[in-house]
Amino acid sequence: MANPAPASGLAITEHRLANGLRVVLSEDHLTPVAAVCLWYDVGSRHEVKGRTGLAHLFEHLMFQGSANVSNNGHFELVQGAGGSLNGTTSFERTNYFETMPAHQLELALWLEADRMGSLLAALDETSMENQRDVVKNERRQRYDNVPYGTAFEKLTALSFPDGHPYHHTPIGSMADLDAATLEDARAFFRTYYAPNNAVLSIVGDLDPEQTIAWVEKYFGSIPAHDGKQPPRDGTLPDTIGAEVRELVREDVPSRALMAAYRLPHDGTREADAADLALTILGSGESSRLYNRLVRRDRTAVSAGFGLLRLAGAPSLGWLDVKAGGEATLERIEAAVDEELARFAAEGPTAEELERAQAQIEREWLDRLTTVAGRADELCRYAVLFGDPKLVNSALPKVLDVTAEEVRAVAAARLRPDNRAVLVYEPTGDDDSNDSDEEAAA
Amino acid sequence: MSDHTPAMEFHPQPRPGTPAPWAFPAPERLTLANGLTVLHCHRPGQQLVAVDVVLDAPLAAEPEGLDGVASILARALSEGTDTLSAEEFAGELERAGATLDTHADHPAIRVSLEVPASRLERGLTLLGDALRAPALPADEIERLVANRLDEIVHEQANPGRRAAKALYAELFPAADRLSRPRAGSAETVKRIDRAAVQAFYAAHLRPSTATAVVVGDLTGTDLAALLESTLGRWTAETREPAVHAPVTADDTGRVVIVDRPGSVQTQLLIGRIGPDRHDPEWAAQVLGTYCLGGTLTSRLDRVLREEKGYTYGVRAFAQALRSAADGSGRGLLAISGSVDTESTAPALQDTWTILRTLAAEGLTDAEREEAVQFLVGVAPLKFETAGSVAATLADQVEQYLPDTYQADFYRKLAELDTAAATRAVVAAFPPDRLVTVLVGDASVIAEPVKALGIGDVTVIA
Repeated sequence: MANPAPASGLAITEHRLANGLRVVLSEDHLTPVAAVCLWYDVGSRHEVKGRTGLAHLFEHLMFQGSANVSNNGHFELVQGAGGSLNGTTSFERTNYFETMPAHQLELALWLEADRMGSLLAALDETSMENQRDVVKNERRQRYDNVPYGTAFEKLTALSFPDGHPYHHTPIGSMADLDAATLEDARAFFRTYYAPNNAVLSIVGDLDPEQTIAWVEKYFGSIPAHDGKQPPRDGTLPDTIGAEVRELVREDVPSRALMAAYRLPHDGTREADAADLALTILGSGESSRLYNRLVRRDRTAVSAGFGLLRLAGAPSLGWLDVKAGGEATLERIEAAVDEELARFAAEGPTAEELERAQAQIEREWLDRLTTVAGRADELCRYAVLFGDPKLVNSALPKVLDVTAEEVRAVAAARLRPDNRAVLVYEPTGDDDSNDSDEEAAA
Repeated sequence: MSDHTPAMEFHPQPRPGTPAPWAFPAPERLTLANGLTVLHCHRPGQQLVAVDVVLDAPLAAEPEGLDGVASILARALSEGTDTLSAEEFAGELERAGATLDTHADHPAIRVSLEVPASRLERGLTLLGDALRAPALPADEIERLVANRLDEIVHEQANPGRRAAKALYAELFPAADRLSRPRAGSAETVKRIDRAAVQAFYAAHLRPSTATAVVVGDLTGTDLAALLESTLGRWTAETREPAVHAPVTADDTGRVVIVDRPGSVQTQLLIGRIGPDRHDPEWAAQVLGTYCLGGTLTSRLDRVLREEKGYTYGVRAFAQALRSAADGSGRGLLAISGSVDTESTAPALQDTWTILRTLAAEGLTDAEREEAVQFLVGVAPLKFETAGSVAATLADQVEQYLPDTYQADFYRKLAELDTAAATRAVVAAFPPDRLVTVLVGDASVIAEPVKALGIGDVTVIA
């Protein structure tokens, strides 16, 4: 019925239960599968000082059972039904998703409703202590034990001032993870986990009437509540005003130049223009920075730009260059600045713009190719921008951006005085004393 | 507790509806005039078409002392053609909204194209040109060699990569290509130049020993004609396909610690070799291995993660290494994960206890049931995209398996009983025949690990 191709758009229907839960449905009968996605409008930006990492730790606790589901029962039941599942936490939201064989859709709804309405009936000290240790090991595995692993955290802290809701990343600090209490987790649930603070999307081989009846049956009696405080204000000036810079001496394999540029908020036309600018400058092997640094100058092993889209604070343009051989960062940085200045002056060529739009179109197709990807996008547009149907105009908007708009956003934002810079200098083997101290700590 | 009493109305856990029939798609075959074998599969609605090419250029065919030449060739395939420079080729691919990934591994070189269906012809033309007439320019090859030398330094800093390198070096005889890094060492990579890459291309890349797998929404496409006019333009003389030597390994139980001072975690990689997908026991082994360490609720994570909190997750798995048409190939069996440094010995102790208990008591019917429900039930999700179907069909080709293999596998899996799964996983992971590689801080972990008695402990730099 629904065609995943963006040309015709997704068929979308919206509903709202009396308790405030927003529900978005999209039918697609090509494969006998159905995706359930639930976004809670809470992320690390809602955390308070001394409790960083709580939203993510809490996400783990959501898998530890509820009134009618045993500890780990959520995983056992979904996988035992042939489904896959997970949850993730970002600055702006926490999402939970199950992709099920179509005939098991009702089970996923029952499970999500049970934990939305009754998590605290099961949450205890044992789960809290165990998942605290798991999350600390997640932090070690993903960030602390890999070279450059804490760059994201460092650059984020440089980009957003102390006290700003986006100053810290979702993983949180070890000290704050240690400090979190069971009562903190309970209060977090009572504050943010309510039907009126969530969007439920269901995509795939489903019967809409039956599906809405199930949603009503399982979620309808969960009481709404209004304990939620809005996140602290993330408003900042469009540009930083002066470069911020930090030098890191660590045991890393090569020198690196990383930087974060403050960019327009997600959801604006300027953010799409910035996406195109970063794609032309730093995405893929035909990008300007790759051609300059990797192919021509041969000063870098890798060079690229990424976009961290943020709706409640300025987005960040993410530069990452790993030096090759003996190349100096001074030379690399001079070349980057030269390329950015040239782009800001001249803008993209028609062919570059066409290529970038084709790449973004492919990435978009890729995201919409699975029912789970579509369900997540529907929640994203509903939670962050108020309307899931915006999903159908997202790509046409990017294709509508002009070369002059791309140039203009680059000129305004991709400037040295609008960035936080992180520079890595390897310590080599002579600095093993530092390592020994860490090991003993 | 009244504080936590839910106000919602509860309903009993729902029962499933009627499952819709699903089977792994059956591909069709055709052969182009140039000898290229094609497997194709129409998947309605999949607007991103996946094309996977399997090239009969195994790593074992690399000349002595030139480890890495297959990888440099694979990377150089996208560095320009007879009509396009390297920069132009990259630009043209992106203009088509396409991606082209290349990878050299023990069995073959794989080239994977993904392109929107609306631009399939352009994508296939670029892919065909890359195979038929790669420029292999000397300056780009020089750059790829320099990049690979830098990459080796980065791999050395990555605990997972370092563990894999050490395990392969321990398990396999030094003369077997499997024992050495896939993309070569600094010593061998330094020797690679354009002539070596060109010679490897000429000796091993040819349509008659290659297979292309095409999957996606092919509505309105005359695929045979389209392929003839693109990939069909590639010609080369016919040669005999490669022959793969049997795989042997030394799985004497022992521990190798790769010292990484200051590590806050220890990377574990515990492995040996076992049956590959030709073996009649493969399905039972997949089932049993899933029960051991396939997910968060499997035996390993139930203790190591969900009870003790030692890890973010530990997985047990089996993967093909190098297969042969006669079934003499073998797979790698392994347990992998990372644990905080202080928990290294306790985590290993628990792992061995889990393996011994499994051998003594076997799996339960409930574990078998949940695993079968998951592995079979999740298949329609796993193969929702064209890319995942194409990759699986290409694996079958690379491993000399029949086109019906994956579909048969699911039928077999559903019929296995608990005893079969137990037998296979116990045979796969005997506690005294496992090589344990630990990448971590030797000054902290070596003594406690020695005390475990799971084999001699060697510390390497």
